[in-house]
Amino acid sequence: MNQDIHKLLRLKRYEHPTPDYIERFLDKFHERQRADLLKQPSLASLWERIVSAFPDFHVPRLAYAGVAAAAVVFSAVILATHQTETAPGPTLALNAPNPTVNVMPAGRGDVRLPVSSRSDFPPHYVLEARPVSYESPYSF
Amino acid sequence: MAEAAQQQETTDEDLVARTQDGDPRAFDELVRKYSPRLYGLVYNMTSNHEDTNDLLQDIFSKAYRSIRGFRGKSSFYTWLHTIGTNMTINFLKKRSRNHHMSLDDVDGNVQRDPEFIELTSGPDARREVNLKELQQRLNEAMMKLSNEHRIVVTMFDIQGMPHAEIGKILGISEGTVRSRLFYAHRQLQNYLQEFLTA
Repeated sequence: MNQDIHKLLRLKRYEHPTPDYIERFLDKFHERQRADLLKQPSLASLWERIVSAFPDFHVPRLAYAGVAAAAVVFSAVILATHQTETAPGPTLALNAPNPTVNVMPAGRGDVRLPVSSRSDFPPHYVLEARPVSYESPYSF
Repeated sequence: MAEAAQQQETTDEDLVARTQDGDPRAFDELVRKYSPRLYGLVYNMTSNHEDTNDLLQDIFSKAYRSIRGFRGKSSFYTWLHTIGTNMTINFLKKRSRNHHMSLDDVDGNVQRDPEFIELTSGPDARREVNLKELQQRLNEAMMKLSNEHRIVVTMFDIQGMPHAEIGKILGISEGTVRSRLFYAHRQLQNYLQEFLTA
């Protein structure tokens, strides 16, 4: 039975192009080659040329995972370094001006800051609170 | 026979070397030599002459661009057929199911083929068929096979390649080639029952 199928399928070898097909095919092939030369090589064809130039080169199976892991570690190091540089340390906190939050007491719409009475200075406001750095660090 | 094969291989090697050195006429010779066989392979996979023509242009273009990387570990024939097979299978995966079959271009010699005469008008013939009908039914039966079964049938039954060569081109073992052929033949028997002798 298999032999009959084989004989039947062998008849398909008669389905082939006309004898002048090959020369017409070659003409078209040359046209296409010329058109390809005129076109700028795309990234895909560049990669294809690189791959064909090194047929034995295969990216190892775990290389992508390795590269991804290295990228994660590198990002983590960069992030950690950045945070160390920008985070205010204890010394910096002492020198930095304290952010003040003014909460208006209920029922008092008018808040006036004390004004200095000294005449040799132009009018200026005096803050009630002393700067933090003026306080003795060892006030027991 | 072996000497002729050796001569052919040397010629291919020479043509490949000349192409690698930048002689495009050498590649033309390779196209002349292998396009009829490659045409048969692609046509029997697609059942469409236009698709076959376009694909063949793509296959030879790719082969030309990649030929510098060909190191001669396999024969040029195997290398070219591997490119052709991969590109054809990729094409078939993308092609929609609504395609038409080309049914012209059958060589008239088929009607003088003893196998055709035996199958269609011999004493054991189940029924008389005309050429067009037989071609259509064969193509329909082929297109019902999966791509991987159709390719082994094309290579073995139609193109007469040995199992080992098919295995090399497709990157599978000889055992897998045989089992795919067995399964494909069994399916084809069902589709083509009326043309087979009892």
